[in-house]
Formats: sequence, C-alpha cells, structure tokens
Amino acid sequence: MSSEGRDHVQRRFAPGTTIEDLKEYMVPFVAELGYKLNTDIAFADEVLASEIAILDATGDVYCPCRLRTGNAREDARIVCPCIPFNARQFAAMRKCWCGLFVRSDVEDGTALMGIVNEPEPGVAVDVPVCSAASIASSQVRRVFVDAREYALARIGDDFFAIGNICAHAFGPLADGPLDGDEVMCPRHGWRYNVRTGETGHPDANVRTYPAFARDGLVFITV
Amino acid sequence: MTVKVFALSTCPHCKRARAFLDESGIDYDVSEVDLMTGAERDEAIDEVRSLTGGTSFPVIIIDGQVVVGFNQSRLEELLGL
Repeated sequence: MSSEGRDHVQRRFAPGTTIEDLKEYMVPFVAELGYKLNTDIAFADEVLASEIAILDATGDVYCPCRLRTGNAREDARIVCPCIPFNARQFAAMRKCWCGLFVRSDVEDGTALMGIVNEPEPGVAVDVPVCSAASIASSQVRRVFVDAREYALARIGDDFFAIGNICAHAFGPLADGPLDGDEVMCPRHGWRYNVRTGETGHPDANVRTYPAFARDGLVFITV
Repeated sequence: MTVKVFALSTCPHCKRARAFLDESGIDYDVSEVDLMTGAERDEAIDEVRSLTGGTSFPVIIIDGQVVVGFNQSRLEELLGL
C-alpha cells in the first residue's frame, strides 16, 4: 500500500526542501483564500517539520494529522494546504484542521487549538473565496467552495454569486461576458441576471448566494 | 475507565494529547495508525472511520465517548479532572 501511495505522486518539491521554502510557497496561496500562517510560529514550524518528514517519505506534503489511505483521490484531498477541499468547515472553525493556517482576522491562533467542529447542519457559513482585488468591476470569475463551483460577478463594489452551471448545456457561466447585470453563457448565449439568477428561459433559473467583501476578501454564504 | 487513543506519529496534536494524558496520570492504550501495517492497519482505519466518519487524528475514546482532535476541556470533562 505504501509503495503504491508513493508511485502515484509526482514530486513537486526538490529534495532538501526546507520549512522556509514551504512557507514561501504556501503563504501567498492561502492569503488568496483568506488565511495566514498560525500566529504561534513555533507551532507552525512544528507542523511544517512534520510535513518535511512526510515529503521526504512520500514525495508530497500531506497533512500530518490526517491519514493517507493509499487511495489517490482521497489522499489528494489532504495535500497541504487542504483549505480548498474543506473551505466551509475551515471557515466555520476559523482555521485549517491542524491549525497550520488560521483565518486572516485571527489574532491569537493558540486560542483555536483543539477546535475541530463541523458546521451545524443547515446553518449557512460565510466562506472566503478569493481576494477582492482578483476580480475587477464588470467581470465574472469562477470560485469554489469544497467541490462546488460558483460564478462570482462584481458590479462596482457589489458582489453577486450564482450557480456556475447553465441549465441549458451545462456551460460555465463564469467564462461568459458580463453585460450590465447579465452574464451570458459562453456556449449558446443564454443570459442570467447575476442579482436574481433569473433567465428568460422557463424553469432554468440558477441559484443565488449572498456575496460580500470584507477586509479585501470576497465571501459567499453557503 | 478505559481510554484508547488512535494517533499518527507525525501529528503535533496527537503528541500534545498524549502528553496531556501522561501528565494527568491517565492509563491509556495507543495505536499509531501510520506506523501499522497489513490487516492491523486496515482494522484500525476501519474502526476510526466507523467512530468518526473520517481519518483525522487524534481520536480519543473514553468509556465509549469519542473525542476527535485534542480538545483539552472536553477531555478534562470526560476524565473527571
């Protein structure tokens, strides 16, 4: 099982990769998702030292607090930073599972240790999806929460999130142009109002989700 | 009182949880699942999955009550500390 686990990994880091190398790669990546390194730097370094040991043994930086099973798809979900696969849960916990990363507005990362709650069933969570600077006015981009994708539109300083999949032929709405309040599907031109999710075609509206910007990040409520 | 710990050798929270149990004078049985092999490992993974629905660590079972993660206040409550 372990040799199988190693074979499917294409090594991304050179031998001799250090804790500082990992920080240099990970910190900008998680900043775009609304996270930063834990304020408890000694703890963060302890986690990263474990990840270096795992990297040397397996070829990639798996979470030291979750188990690799040898199933490639499952294991890909625990490659650090694993925030994209767990965005909703981590947004509710205000940290990632192991606590290497905390939400960017957390002042004392030590206080969050031991918190591993799942969000309450049925309760919506404000999930950071990208930086506000990553989307200009009158543009649409695709964002993800866990495995689901959304089209995020910006009109002035207002943000709107709708389901990304056109009801007609499953076109990705985020790839279409925004014309006023309407995004046009790049496949066949169906138009959806980003404020309401409505289209002129019967029974084909897409869902809308609350979206807003705070502290330079865009959140959607899902 | 029966205390069982499923841990990973690589996990800082597992180390902290075990240190806490040691310092509290609690006797416990521990399985470091990532160091196990073969059927023993598969059985441990199955048990962790059935108890927690996932494979995240540490998993601490105190007289049948399951605690995922090193939640010190919850452990103190269950251990009567």
